[in-house]
Amino acid sequence: MRDARYAYAGTSRQVLAGVDLDVEAGRVVAVVGPNEAGKSTLCLVAAGLAPIAIGGRLEGSVLLAGDETAGLAAYQAAQRCGILFQNPATQLSGTTSTVWEEIAFGPRNLGLDIGAIVERVEGAMATLDIAGLADRDPQRLSGGQAQLVALASVLALRPSLLVLDEPTSQLDPAGTRLVGDALGRFAADNGTAVLLVEHKTGLVARIADEVAVLVGGRIVEHGPTAEILRDPALAEHGVDPPPAVRIERAVAAAGRSGDLAGLDLAALEVDPIAGAPRPTGAPLPTGARA
Amino acid sequence: MNGQFSTRVITLMPVAIAINIVLGVTVQQVLKLPIYLDSIGTILVGVLAGPLAGALTGILSNLIWQYAPGIGGGTIGPFAVTAGVIGLLAGLWGQLGVYRSRPASGTSLWLPTVIAVAIILFLASRIYGNPAYNDPAYFVSWYSTAIVLVAVVVSVAVVAWVVVKRDAAGAWVALAGAVTGIVAAIVSAPISAYVFGGVTGGGTDVIVAALRQGGSDVLNASLGQGFFSDPIDKVITSFVVFIIIASVSPRLLARFPNGERLTATAA
Amino acid sequence: MIDAHRPGVVPGFVLRPPTGSYHALNPSTKLVLAFAEAAVAFGVRGWTGPLVVIAIVIATATAARVGRSLVPFALAVIPLVASILLVNTFLFPGATDVIARIGPLAPTWTGLEAALQATLRVAAFALSVAVFALTTPTDDLLADLERRGLGRRGVFVIGAAIGMIPRMVERASEITDSQRARGLDTEGSRWRRIRGVVPLAAPMIIGALSEVEERTMALEARAFSAPGRRTILRPLPDSAWQRIVRWVAGLGAIILVAASVAGLLPVP
Repeated sequence: MRDARYAYAGTSRQVLAGVDLDVEAGRVVAVVGPNEAGKSTLCLVAAGLAPIAIGGRLEGSVLLAGDETAGLAAYQAAQRCGILFQNPATQLSGTTSTVWEEIAFGPRNLGLDIGAIVERVEGAMATLDIAGLADRDPQRLSGGQAQLVALASVLALRPSLLVLDEPTSQLDPAGTRLVGDALGRFAADNGTAVLLVEHKTGLVARIADEVAVLVGGRIVEHGPTAEILRDPALAEHGVDPPPAVRIERAVAAAGRSGDLAGLDLAALEVDPIAGAPRPTGAPLPTGARA
Repeated sequence: MNGQFSTRVITLMPVAIAINIVLGVTVQQVLKLPIYLDSIGTILVGVLAGPLAGALTGILSNLIWQYAPGIGGGTIGPFAVTAGVIGLLAGLWGQLGVYRSRPASGTSLWLPTVIAVAIILFLASRIYGNPAYNDPAYFVSWYSTAIVLVAVVVSVAVVAWVVVKRDAAGAWVALAGAVTGIVAAIVSAPISAYVFGGVTGGGTDVIVAALRQGGSDVLNASLGQGFFSDPIDKVITSFVVFIIIASVSPRLLARFPNGERLTATAA
Repeated sequence: MIDAHRPGVVPGFVLRPPTGSYHALNPSTKLVLAFAEAAVAFGVRGWTGPLVVIAIVIATATAARVGRSLVPFALAVIPLVASILLVNTFLFPGATDVIARIGPLAPTWTGLEAALQATLRVAAFALSVAVFALTTPTDDLLADLERRGLGRRGVFVIGAAIGMIPRMVERASEITDSQRARGLDTEGSRWRRIRGVVPLAAPMIIGALSEVEERTMALEARAFSAPGRRTILRPLPDSAWQRIVRWVAGLGAIILVAASVAGLLPVP
């Protein structure tokens, strides 16, 4: 994106006020920021769904695999960029009785031949390791499983860019862990470019290569993950630092005052991704010094 | 994919159909009330997406209700015709801007209200005053009184709404609902009378029985029951749809084919 | 786990071939038959139409081995039939051939005859719907209709609507439960239950509508609006003789109804 500016139909306020952002193949770029910063809008613009599918005015340049999104039809944009939203229930088509058919929904829409469809479905299931769910009813899955199926059905279109709009925010801790792990493996192994919008900075810390901070429709900071997440100014932008960083600071603060007894031990029990109590006996996350 | 059947409309229709069926079953079969409340989805789609989409929503709702395994049964299928007509009319009202919020005060508030109430009372008096319906051999006297009572209650409710909300659109919505109800009754009566012998197994059969008791023939009893239940049902439904539309942000409304006619323009 | 899943081919649990001779008929054939039966049951006046349809329905039900499953469908129309019989026998306008006077009530033979005919029509219709519903999975029907030109949008609307209903019923009971927990009376007198409808209907409708935007986006993200025809995963078999049966049944029904309406059909 170069100087991307976007306003929704029927409004005059520009939700995105000049965004410059590049996501390269194999890299994971995370976007954090306060609520109402325009993060969801950024996702829709990046995926080419805005303005094509929802109207509105887009100025500036947004390129997907070399082509301006303004000139792409929705189905063409879908093949270059996949997008995953928060709620798994609304992303399942509701018209299929098996997970296999749900994942095949996209390729079928393109009219690909059966061999290609089988290949893509099996590939998507293998990537996310959900082959065991293939014959299950999509409406009867747990939140985390449903979200993975939704992701697989998007990956079946073989996009070169993947946009994730807070993919774990409506999941319970178990689901968050499931999806977080899958995304971690995906990001590590795959050549796909990933744009991740997240509140859970723990997940960001784990899988993102770069972090951009979006405030008021503009990117105010952008750099390597470790650097940005350690920046004390992050809190001013309304972003919680990840648990690992909080633990560091807590230990450092307690150590400086020599009062280790005042250390908030409960903080050490935090699961770095889900933010919920982690099962006892599991190893501490790397980066924390206990 | 633009036009009346954009992807958004295609997403809306199944939701509307499901609303129709679930509410309809609840009100008609579980609660057994003498109203239907199975057209909220149809009218909603008609207003948001146009007459054809509305008509299809209605027709499909009835066919699915009748034939789908697990849900199917009852006698709702043949009334798909009525549902289609309701959807068509809703599309018409939508395009005429009936469902656009019209904040007003003073004369521009009272004038439409008075006109709408006048028309409602006029229609009621046509039903009341028609000699075929007043002949003691055909209709019991209570029926005429009931019709007038219904019309008066509807009028009072409409006036109250308009005054409280200061929204003149309430008058037009009520009128649209009343007209839709009357047309629906006229279309349904022959279906009910000739296909099912005049009853449908729901709460409305009590009214049919009472009218027959008074001496009306099969068709007129069904028609009479329709004139009683349908206008109330459609006025309520139309108001429900109006409230729903009024509570959706204009930003989202604009994305629907008819969206522009639903958002209040300045002055 | 998947037992019969071989990589590289569409799995068996997706293909789901139908079993049984009537079940294996093309879904469109079964659909045309159902509509033809409905048309004859309602359109051919008198006793013959409904009785013929009932005979056909029972024959096909036996052939498809779903005879026993028809019973719940038959029982489901009993309230309606009771209503028809009562209202028409006792309150048929203009009839004077009274059966017997029981106090203030005067049931008539004309009324009873009309009632029985209406009952047969309703029964014939209900049973033909039942046989169709029992032998034709929705997936199959929609897949076949799409192949014949209904298009992905029509198939989606019908399929998604049917799929959404159980979820909405669940949501409705969730809403009812949460309102019961907040003290709202959901049982009890009719007036209370009427008042209970509004707090039930409103969140259900608003909740369902709020999903529309995201569902639209999700569909677009899966190339739903791409041009051309979707790939067919499950080819459903059809045959020349079924095509003949469809035409004969369809045209035959229309002709019979027209003849009956014109008064040309000399059957009771």
